[in-house]
Amino acid sequence: MSDTAPLLRVRDLTVTYGTHRRKLSAVAGVSFEIREGETLGLVGESGCGKSTTGRALMRIVEPSAGSIELEGTELTTTTGKELRQLRTRMQMIFQDPISSLNPRRRVRDIVAEPLDCWRRAEGVERTTIVNNLLGKVGIDPDVYGDRYPRQFSGGQCQRISIARSLAMRPKLLICDEMVSALDVSVQAQILNLLEDLKAEYGLTLLFIAHDLAVVKNVSDRVAVMYLGKICEIGPADTLYESPEHPYTSFLLGAALEADPDSPVRGEVLAGEPPSPLRPPSGCRFRTRCPNATAKCANEEPPLVEVAPAHSVACHYPLSTLARR
Amino acid sequence: MSEQLLVVRDLATTFHTPSGPLRAVGGVSFDLGQNETLGIVGESGSGKTVLSRTIMGLQPRTNVEVTGSVLVNGFEVVGASERDKRAIWGLQVAMVFQDPMTSLNPVMRVGKQIDEILRVRLGLDRRAARDRAIELLELVGIPSPAERYDVYPGELSGGMRQRVVIATALAGSPQLLLADEPTTGLDVTIQAQILNLLDRLKERLHMSVVLVTHDLGVVATRSSRIIVMYAGRIVEIGSTRDVFARHRMPYTRALLEGSPKISNPSHTRLKAIPGRPPNLADLPGGCAFAPRCSFATDRCREERPELEPAGEVGHAFACWHPLPLVQKVLA
Repeated sequence: MSDTAPLLRVRDLTVTYGTHRRKLSAVAGVSFEIREGETLGLVGESGCGKSTTGRALMRIVEPSAGSIELEGTELTTTTGKELRQLRTRMQMIFQDPISSLNPRRRVRDIVAEPLDCWRRAEGVERTTIVNNLLGKVGIDPDVYGDRYPRQFSGGQCQRISIARSLAMRPKLLICDEMVSALDVSVQAQILNLLEDLKAEYGLTLLFIAHDLAVVKNVSDRVAVMYLGKICEIGPADTLYESPEHPYTSFLLGAALEADPDSPVRGEVLAGEPPSPLRPPSGCRFRTRCPNATAKCANEEPPLVEVAPAHSVACHYPLSTLARR
Repeated sequence: MSEQLLVVRDLATTFHTPSGPLRAVGGVSFDLGQNETLGIVGESGSGKTVLSRTIMGLQPRTNVEVTGSVLVNGFEVVGASERDKRAIWGLQVAMVFQDPMTSLNPVMRVGKQIDEILRVRLGLDRRAARDRAIELLELVGIPSPAERYDVYPGELSGGMRQRVVIATALAGSPQLLLADEPTTGLDVTIQAQILNLLDRLKERLHMSVVLVTHDLGVVATRSSRIIVMYAGRIVEIGSTRDVFARHRMPYTRALLEGSPKISNPSHTRLKAIPGRPPNLADLPGGCAFAPRCSFATDRCREERPELEPAGEVGHAFACWHPLPLVQKVLA
């Protein structure tokens, strides 16, 4: 597996907001890879930089440093037409399904928009592609094709967004909290649909969400972000079963399972994330970490591999702590 | 049986809209005892928020019709004048809303917002009210409460704001706290803090709590009983264990099995049900869940099932074709 080049390679990605006086690094040096056909989940609490990371990959926000390689092509230095061309290979789906669709356009035109922009298909061919896409996401094109977004529910709008994102046959799909606004029963439909389409279209996914259970359900690997940095990344099942970073462990402990027999953790993470305007020195989690020592304040822990494909940025990973 | 703090009988709330009557809540009956936590679970449009507001007696003045009965500590809320309701608001029943930013006055210092109740409702003087407000801020876990007394809501994080809202609700020492999605929109670690806080306060202040949420995870370990709502009606009610392990209504199962679980391996196929929650203005005849239900028959589409008692005490469901009882071994 590892001998094939990754589809996406991100190195030291940094996104800084603000002017020279007040600088806020929403993403502060993030590196990861996504192999073709893989789903990488990106979790973290609000303000951790997970959405900014997704947006920076699309160059919706400009990275201030680092590199992004999609199939070997550097994205950060490309501009103009070349960038537009590259963007057709990656598409993004946003949280609010209703506001991400143009309210004044018919559903079939919304889905056809990418095709029209690139003059990929016209006439009968265009209609065939659009009908096919709408059918794939479970929207009957003959009945609903001529309707407007306001005539659909949130779940249906998200289906339309998915159809639109697939129009250019992208390689990479970036999903930013795409099911967060949906009801439980609708969320399951969309997640299943996404899994089906991923297989059918050979998609690679970056799935950004705050819901740990949702992320685990769709992901092969999961990266956990805290205050602009990845603190742990690893195979989904391993990471959830034996987290190495104390933050991951707290996050999992705080997640609520719909099971009356699940243990109630008395020990919850105290406090709130510090302001990214003034991140703590050394390890960014140290101010809330029960295991923090002087070393954590002085030295920033690098992301190191503790098990195959499982890396953690902590001076005292939990498994080593248990051994002592 | 102990005295019931809250008795709801055949409660219905109907909004008169330009496109006809919209029955947001219908035929809801339940009791809530002292020092008990009741979870009300439902998707958007299930009527859970309207139900909690109706219990509180908060409705628009016009174009709404409430029938049935809500007794809070013996006080009939339905039909009571606003003036009479003020006698119980804050003092016997208080409410915590979902969005802490909109339930606080953005241009008023947070301490003053707690003061207001203490001074107006409890008649405390300025000094005593301030001291009590700081005590309340401390009670809800706000660090350095004396300094936070003077900040504005905008200077606080979402979790801290929700703590202030809870402090405001507790100011009049109510016996019943209605919490409508109190942790939706908060991060998981903050959510856990707030839920633990509510639990602790309930024990400490001997309150009863109604926890309204769309998230079964929130109520699973926090409430003793659960009401599952669909299209404005109770479709299943019972002890938390019964609802989770011995549910009979297919919709309850859909809710439980449709949400991904951390304990399942990744790429577990979700048991999704088709369709979406119905439009309340255009409800199907018969069982509202029938169009999405795989067991539905003609009877379901024509005749609405009433709540039927299940085997266990206090457990009831509304379904013509209840799920067979699967004995799930509980630890």
